Amino acid sequence: MGIKNYDDLNSLEIDTLREVGSIGTGNAATALSGLLNRRVRITLPEVRIMGYNEAIDWIGGPENVTAGVLVRISGDIGGIMLSVLPLEFVNMVLECMLDNQVEEFEHLDELQRSALVEVGNIMISTFINALSGLSGVTMDLTVPSLTVDMQGAILAVPMAEYGGQTDYLMTIGGNFTCDDYELPCRLLLSPEIRGLNYLLHKLGVSDA
Amino acid sequence: MPSGQKLVVKIADMKIAQHGEELITYALGSCIGICLQDKISKLSALIHIMLPLNMEAGRKNTMKYADTGIRETLKQMEARGSRRGNIVAKVAGGAKMFETASGSSLGNIGKRNIDSVHMILKAEQIRLLAEDVGGTTARTITFDPATGMVTVKSYGKPDHTI
Repeated sequence: MGIKNYDDLNSLEIDTLREVGSIGTGNAATALSGLLNRRVRITLPEVRIMGYNEAIDWIGGPENVTAGVLVRISGDIGGIMLSVLPLEFVNMVLECMLDNQVEEFEHLDELQRSALVEVGNIMISTFINALSGLSGVTMDLTVPSLTVDMQGAILAVPMAEYGGQTDYLMTIGGNFTCDDYELPCRLLLSPEIRGLNYLLHKLGVSDA
Repeated sequence: MPSGQKLVVKIADMKIAQHGEELITYALGSCIGICLQDKISKLSALIHIMLPLNMEAGRKNTMKYADTGIRETLKQMEARGSRRGNIVAKVAGGAKMFETASGSSLGNIGKRNIDSVHMILKAEQIRLLAEDVGGTTARTITFDPATGMVTVKSYGKPDHTI
Protein backbone atom coordinates (compact mmCIF):
# COMPACT_ATOMS: atom_id res chain seq x y z
CA MET A 1 0.00 0.00 0.00
CA GLY A 2 2.68 2.47 1.02
CA ILE A 3 2.34 6.07 2.03
CA LYS A 4 -0.16 8.55 0.60
CA ASN A 5 1.61 11.68 1.68
CA TYR A 6 5.16 12.57 2.64
CA ASP A 7 4.27 13.17 6.27
CA ASP A 8 3.09 9.55 6.55
CA LEU A 9 6.72 8.38 6.51
CA ASN A 10 7.74 6.64 9.72
CA SER A 11 11.07 7.14 11.44
CA LEU A 12 12.64 3.98 10.01
CA GLU A 13 11.74 5.12 6.51
CA ILE A 14 13.09 8.62 7.13
CA ASP A 15 16.32 7.17 8.54
CA THR A 16 16.69 4.95 5.49
CA LEU A 17 16.18 7.90 3.14
CA ARG A 18 18.68 9.94 5.11
CA GLU A 19 21.20 7.14 4.69
CA VAL A 20 20.45 7.05 0.95
CA GLY A 21 20.95 10.80 0.85
CA SER A 22 24.21 10.45 2.71
CA ILE A 23 25.58 7.90 0.25
CA GLY A 24 24.32 9.93 -2.73
CA THR A 25 25.79 13.23 -1.59
CA GLY A 26 28.97 11.44 -0.46
CA ASN A 27 29.48 10.13 -3.98
CA ALA A 28 28.71 13.55 -5.41
CA ALA A 29 31.31 15.09 -3.09
CA THR A 30 33.94 12.61 -4.26
CA ALA A 31 33.16 13.41 -7.89
CA LEU A 32 33.29 17.12 -7.20
CA SER A 33 36.54 16.69 -5.35
CA GLY A 34 38.12 15.02 -8.38
CA LEU A 35 36.80 17.64 -10.74
CA LEU A 36 37.94 20.64 -8.70
CA ASN A 37 41.03 19.07 -7.23
CA ARG A 38 39.99 20.23 -3.76
CA ARG A 39 38.97 18.33 -0.64
CA VAL A 40 35.17 18.28 -0.73
CA ARG A 41 33.16 16.71 2.08
CA ILE A 42 29.50 16.60 3.03
CA THR A 43 27.95 18.02 6.15
CA LEU A 44 24.95 16.33 7.77
CA PRO A 45 22.65 14.87 5.14
CA GLU A 46 19.04 15.86 5.55
CA VAL A 47 15.60 14.57 4.72
CA ARG A 48 13.07 17.36 4.90
CA ILE A 49 9.35 17.47 4.47
CA MET A 50 8.28 21.09 4.35
CA GLY A 51 5.25 23.18 3.58
CA TYR A 52 5.79 25.45 0.56
CA ASN A 53 6.45 28.63 2.46
CA GLU A 54 8.56 26.84 5.05
CA ALA A 55 10.71 25.54 2.18
CA ILE A 56 11.19 29.07 0.83
CA ASP A 57 12.33 30.27 4.28
CA TRP A 58 14.66 27.28 4.55
CA ILE A 59 16.42 28.02 1.24
CA GLY A 60 16.94 31.62 2.39
CA GLY A 61 14.02 33.72 1.16
CA PRO A 62 12.26 33.94 -2.20
CA GLU A 63 14.09 36.73 -4.01
CA ASN A 64 17.80 35.95 -3.67
CA VAL A 65 19.23 35.13 -7.05
CA THR A 66 20.98 31.82 -7.47
CA ALA A 67 21.98 29.37 -10.17
CA GLY A 68 20.09 26.10 -10.38
CA VAL A 69 20.76 22.99 -12.43
CA LEU A 70 17.71 20.80 -12.88
CA VAL A 71 17.37 17.23 -14.07
CA ARG A 72 14.14 15.31 -14.40
CA ILE A 73 14.10 11.67 -13.38
CA SER A 74 11.90 9.03 -14.97
CA GLY A 75 11.86 5.24 -15.07
CA ASP A 76 11.02 3.25 -11.93
CA ILE A 77 10.98 6.48 -9.94
CA GLY A 78 9.83 9.89 -11.07
CA GLY A 79 11.34 12.96 -9.53
CA ILE A 80 13.23 16.17 -9.91
CA MET A 81 16.78 16.71 -8.83
CA LEU A 82 18.11 20.20 -8.28
CA SER A 83 21.56 21.45 -7.65
CA VAL A 84 21.35 24.93 -6.15
CA LEU A 85 24.56 26.90 -6.68
CA PRO A 86 24.86 30.30 -4.95
CA LEU A 87 27.37 32.87 -6.21
CA GLU A 88 30.07 31.95 -3.70
CA PHE A 89 30.00 28.34 -4.86
CA VAL A 90 29.87 29.37 -8.51
CA ASN A 91 33.01 31.44 -8.08
CA MET A 92 34.83 28.61 -6.36
CA VAL A 93 33.99 26.34 -9.31
CA LEU A 94 35.00 28.93 -11.90
CA GLU A 95 38.23 29.61 -10.08
CA CYS A 96 39.15 25.91 -10.07
CA MET A 97 38.01 25.08 -13.58
CA LEU A 98 38.59 28.24 -15.60
CA ASP A 99 40.80 30.34 -13.37
CA ASN A 100 38.36 33.25 -13.34
CA GLN A 101 35.40 34.62 -11.34
CA VAL A 102 32.36 36.82 -11.80
CA GLU A 103 31.10 39.65 -9.63
CA GLU A 104 27.48 39.00 -10.50
CA PHE A 105 25.52 36.22 -12.14
CA GLU A 106 24.68 38.57 -15.01
CA HIS A 107 28.28 38.50 -16.15
CA LEU A 108 28.41 34.74 -16.73
CA ASP A 109 29.54 33.94 -20.26
CA GLU A 110 28.74 30.83 -22.32
CA LEU A 111 31.82 28.88 -21.24
CA GLN A 112 31.21 29.65 -17.56
CA ARG A 113 27.56 28.65 -17.86
CA SER A 114 28.47 25.36 -19.46
CA ALA A 115 31.03 24.69 -16.71
CA LEU A 116 28.24 25.17 -14.15
CA VAL A 117 25.88 22.85 -16.02
CA GLU A 118 28.63 20.24 -16.05
CA VAL A 119 29.32 20.56 -12.33
CA GLY A 120 25.61 20.36 -11.49
CA ASN A 121 25.20 17.42 -13.82
CA ILE A 122 28.12 15.48 -12.38
CA MET A 123 26.85 15.94 -8.83
CA ILE A 124 23.32 14.92 -9.79
CA SER A 125 24.38 11.92 -11.90
CA THR A 126 26.73 10.51 -9.28
CA PHE A 127 24.00 10.88 -6.64
CA ILE A 128 21.50 9.06 -8.85
CA ASN A 129 24.00 6.36 -9.85
CA ALA A 130 24.72 5.67 -6.20
CA LEU A 131 21.02 5.52 -5.39
CA SER A 132 20.36 3.26 -8.34
CA GLY A 133 23.21 0.89 -7.48
CA LEU A 134 22.11 0.71 -3.86
CA SER A 135 18.45 -0.01 -4.48
CA GLY A 136 18.42 -1.73 -7.86
CA VAL A 137 15.97 0.89 -9.11
CA THR A 138 16.32 2.05 -12.72
CA MET A 139 16.27 5.78 -13.27
CA ASP A 140 16.62 7.76 -16.49
CA LEU A 141 17.82 11.34 -16.46
CA THR A 142 17.06 14.19 -18.84
CA VAL A 143 19.71 16.53 -20.17
CA PRO A 144 20.54 19.05 -17.41
CA SER A 145 19.21 22.57 -17.67
CA LEU A 146 20.65 25.70 -16.02
CA THR A 147 18.78 28.77 -14.94
CA VAL A 148 19.85 31.86 -12.99
CA ASP A 149 16.94 33.50 -11.23
CA MET A 150 15.14 34.08 -7.92
CA GLN A 151 15.55 30.96 -5.80
CA GLY A 152 11.90 30.94 -4.74
CA ALA A 153 10.86 30.41 -8.34
CA ILE A 154 13.48 27.67 -8.79
CA LEU A 155 12.27 25.80 -5.72
CA ALA A 156 8.69 26.19 -6.93
CA VAL A 157 9.47 23.89 -9.87
CA PRO A 158 9.44 20.64 -7.83
CA MET A 159 6.58 22.04 -5.73
CA ALA A 160 4.41 22.64 -8.78
CA GLU A 161 5.38 19.31 -10.33
CA TYR A 162 3.82 17.35 -7.45
CA GLY A 163 1.49 20.06 -6.19
CA GLY A 164 -1.54 18.10 -7.37
CA GLN A 165 -0.61 15.23 -5.01
CA THR A 166 0.65 16.98 -1.92
CA ASP A 167 0.96 20.23 -0.01
CA TYR A 168 4.54 19.43 0.93
CA LEU A 169 7.92 19.53 -0.70
CA MET A 170 10.15 16.62 0.15
CA THR A 171 13.89 16.93 -0.27
CA ILE A 172 16.68 14.44 0.28
CA GLY A 173 20.08 16.05 0.15
CA GLY A 174 22.92 17.81 1.84
CA ASN A 175 25.44 20.62 1.96
CA PHE A 176 29.12 20.53 1.17
CA THR A 177 32.34 21.79 2.67
CA CYS A 178 35.40 22.51 0.61
CA ASP A 179 38.87 22.69 2.16
CA ASP A 180 37.11 22.82 5.54
CA TYR A 181 34.92 25.81 4.98
CA GLU A 182 31.20 25.56 4.42
CA LEU A 183 30.11 25.74 0.83
CA PRO A 184 26.65 27.09 0.31
CA CYS A 185 25.59 24.49 -2.22
CA ARG A 186 22.62 22.17 -2.00
CA LEU A 187 21.82 18.99 -3.80
CA LEU A 188 18.14 18.17 -3.57
CA LEU A 189 16.14 15.18 -4.73
CA SER A 190 12.37 15.57 -4.75
CA PRO A 191 10.75 12.22 -5.50
CA GLU A 192 7.12 11.74 -6.42
CA ILE A 193 5.12 9.72 -3.92
CA ARG A 194 4.53 6.60 -6.01
CA GLY A 195 8.24 6.37 -6.81
CA LEU A 196 9.14 6.98 -3.19
CA ASN A 197 7.01 4.00 -2.16
CA TYR A 198 8.71 1.86 -4.77
CA LEU A 199 12.14 2.97 -3.58
CA LEU A 200 11.30 2.17 0.05
CA HIS A 201 9.99 -1.21 -1.06
CA LYS A 202 13.19 -1.97 -2.96
CA LEU A 203 15.26 -0.89 0.03
CA GLY A 204 13.27 -3.36 2.12
CA VAL A 205 11.81 -0.96 4.65
CA SER A 206 8.21 -0.61 3.51
CA ASP A 207 5.62 -3.23 4.43
CA ALA A 208 4.18 -3.19 0.89
CA MET B 1 12.17 44.33 1.36
CA PRO B 2 8.58 44.79 2.47
CA SER B 3 7.80 47.84 4.57
CA GLY B 4 5.13 47.78 7.24
CA GLN B 5 2.56 48.86 4.70
CA LYS B 6 2.82 45.82 2.49
CA LEU B 7 0.75 42.69 2.84
CA VAL B 8 2.75 39.67 1.74
CA VAL B 9 0.87 37.01 -0.19
CA LYS B 10 2.64 33.66 0.10
CA ILE B 11 2.49 30.62 -2.17
CA ALA B 12 -1.02 29.17 -2.50
CA ASP B 13 -2.34 32.16 -0.60
CA MET B 14 -4.67 35.13 -1.07
CA LYS B 15 -5.02 38.42 0.75
CA ILE B 16 -7.55 41.20 0.52
CA ALA B 17 -6.24 44.72 1.24
CA GLN B 18 -8.48 46.14 3.94
CA HIS B 19 -7.14 49.66 4.26
CA GLY B 20 -5.48 50.32 0.94
CA GLU B 21 -2.21 48.55 1.85
CA GLU B 22 -0.05 47.44 -1.04
CA LEU B 23 -0.12 43.74 -1.81
CA ILE B 24 3.07 41.94 -2.74
CA THR B 25 3.97 38.42 -3.79
CA TYR B 26 7.53 37.21 -4.38
CA ALA B 27 9.24 35.11 -7.01
CA LEU B 28 6.43 33.97 -9.26
CA GLY B 29 8.00 31.40 -11.56
CA SER B 30 5.49 29.14 -13.23
CA CYS B 31 3.05 30.34 -10.55
CA ILE B 32 0.69 33.21 -11.36
CA GLY B 33 -0.25 36.28 -9.35
CA ILE B 34 -3.81 37.38 -10.01
CA CYS B 35 -4.75 40.92 -8.96
CA LEU B 36 -8.47 41.53 -8.67
CA GLN B 37 -9.95 44.96 -8.02
CA ASP B 38 -13.41 46.43 -7.66
CA LYS B 39 -12.87 49.58 -9.69
CA ILE B 40 -15.63 51.45 -7.83
CA SER B 41 -14.87 50.61 -4.19
CA LYS B 42 -11.13 49.86 -4.82
CA LEU B 43 -11.46 46.65 -2.81
CA SER B 44 -8.38 44.69 -3.94
CA ALA B 45 -7.17 41.13 -3.69
CA LEU B 46 -4.03 39.30 -4.77
CA ILE B 47 -3.91 35.52 -5.27
CA HIS B 48 -0.71 33.43 -5.73
CA ILE B 49 -1.74 30.22 -7.49
CA MET B 50 0.54 27.33 -8.37
CA LEU B 51 -1.50 24.98 -10.55
CA PRO B 52 -4.27 25.27 -13.16
CA LEU B 53 -7.09 23.06 -11.90
CA ASN B 54 -8.16 21.73 -8.55
CA MET B 55 -8.66 17.99 -8.81
CA GLU B 56 -8.14 17.18 -5.15
CA ALA B 57 -10.82 15.08 -3.54
CA GLY B 58 -11.36 17.31 -0.53
CA ARG B 59 -10.74 20.57 -2.42
CA LYS B 60 -8.91 22.00 0.54
CA ASN B 61 -6.25 24.60 -0.12
CA THR B 62 -8.37 26.47 -2.67
CA MET B 63 -5.73 29.16 -3.31
CA LYS B 64 -3.24 26.65 -4.71
CA TYR B 65 -5.30 26.40 -7.90
CA ALA B 66 -6.42 28.94 -10.50
CA ASP B 67 -10.02 27.75 -10.69
CA THR B 68 -10.92 27.45 -7.02
CA GLY B 69 -8.63 30.37 -6.08
CA ILE B 70 -10.28 32.88 -8.40
CA ARG B 71 -13.81 31.70 -7.63
CA GLU B 72 -13.32 31.73 -3.87
CA THR B 73 -11.75 35.21 -4.00
CA LEU B 74 -14.63 36.58 -6.09
CA LYS B 75 -17.03 35.11 -3.56
CA GLN B 76 -15.21 36.85 -0.72
CA MET B 77 -15.12 40.15 -2.61
CA GLU B 78 -18.83 39.89 -3.31
CA ALA B 79 -19.43 39.17 0.35
CA ARG B 80 -17.77 42.53 1.02
CA GLY B 81 -20.16 44.29 -1.29
CA SER B 82 -18.39 44.17 -4.65
CA ARG B 83 -20.43 43.60 -7.77
CA ARG B 84 -19.14 41.14 -10.31
CA GLY B 85 -19.43 43.63 -13.16
CA ASN B 86 -17.11 46.09 -11.40
CA ILE B 87 -14.27 43.66 -10.80
CA VAL B 88 -11.29 43.78 -13.15
CA ALA B 89 -8.08 41.72 -13.25
CA LYS B 90 -4.37 42.00 -13.97
CA VAL B 91 -2.15 38.93 -14.02
CA ALA B 92 1.56 38.17 -14.07
CA GLY B 93 3.66 35.00 -14.00
CA GLY B 94 3.49 31.68 -15.81
CA ALA B 95 7.16 31.59 -16.81
CA LYS B 96 9.08 28.53 -17.88
CA MET B 97 11.99 28.36 -15.45
CA PHE B 98 13.99 25.56 -17.06
CA GLU B 99 14.42 24.57 -20.68
CA THR B 100 13.97 20.83 -20.53
CA ALA B 101 14.02 18.57 -23.51
CA SER B 102 11.01 16.54 -22.47
CA GLY B 103 7.90 17.54 -24.37
CA SER B 104 5.60 15.96 -21.78
CA SER B 105 2.42 17.66 -20.68
CA LEU B 106 4.06 18.31 -17.33
CA GLY B 107 6.84 20.19 -19.08
CA ASN B 108 5.20 23.57 -19.07
CA ILE B 109 3.09 24.22 -16.01
CA GLY B 110 3.42 27.97 -16.58
CA LYS B 111 1.66 27.79 -19.92
CA ARG B 112 -1.12 25.64 -18.49
CA ASN B 113 -1.56 28.08 -15.63
CA ILE B 114 -1.90 31.00 -18.05
CA ASP B 115 -4.49 29.15 -20.14
CA SER B 116 -6.45 28.20 -17.05
CA VAL B 117 -6.45 31.74 -15.61
CA HIS B 118 -7.67 33.12 -18.95
CA MET B 119 -10.41 30.53 -19.12
CA ILE B 120 -11.64 31.05 -15.56
CA LEU B 121 -11.63 34.86 -15.84
CA LYS B 122 -13.62 34.60 -19.05
CA ALA B 123 -16.07 32.13 -17.54
CA GLU B 124 -16.54 34.38 -14.52
CA GLN B 125 -16.89 37.43 -16.81
CA ILE B 126 -14.00 39.31 -15.28
CA ARG B 127 -12.27 41.74 -17.63
CA LEU B 128 -8.52 41.24 -17.98
CA LEU B 129 -7.02 44.74 -18.15
CA ALA B 130 -3.36 43.86 -18.51
CA GLU B 131 -0.96 40.99 -18.18
CA ASP B 132 2.72 40.13 -18.16
CA VAL B 133 2.90 36.37 -18.60
CA GLY B 134 5.08 33.63 -20.03
CA GLY B 135 8.76 34.09 -20.81
CA THR B 136 11.56 32.49 -18.82
CA THR B 137 12.13 34.79 -15.83
CA ALA B 138 10.62 34.95 -12.36
CA ARG B 139 8.58 37.97 -11.27
CA THR B 140 7.89 39.72 -7.98
CA ILE B 141 4.74 41.82 -8.19
CA THR B 142 3.44 44.70 -6.10
CA PHE B 143 -0.20 45.70 -6.45
CA ASP B 144 -1.19 49.20 -5.35
CA PRO B 145 -4.94 49.39 -4.66
CA ALA B 146 -4.91 53.21 -4.81
CA THR B 147 -3.90 53.29 -8.46
CA GLY B 148 -4.70 49.75 -9.59
CA MET B 149 -1.17 49.55 -10.97
CA VAL B 150 0.96 46.44 -10.71
CA THR B 151 4.76 46.77 -10.60
CA VAL B 152 6.66 43.81 -12.00
CA LYS B 153 10.24 43.19 -10.89
CA SER B 154 12.38 40.56 -12.60
CA TYR B 155 16.01 39.60 -12.25
CA GLY B 156 18.24 41.37 -14.77
CA LYS B 157 15.48 43.58 -16.18
CA PRO B 158 14.23 47.06 -15.31
CA ASP B 159 11.02 47.21 -13.25
CA HIS B 160 7.89 48.01 -15.18
CA THR B 161 4.24 48.56 -14.40
CA ILE B 162 1.14 47.11 -16.00
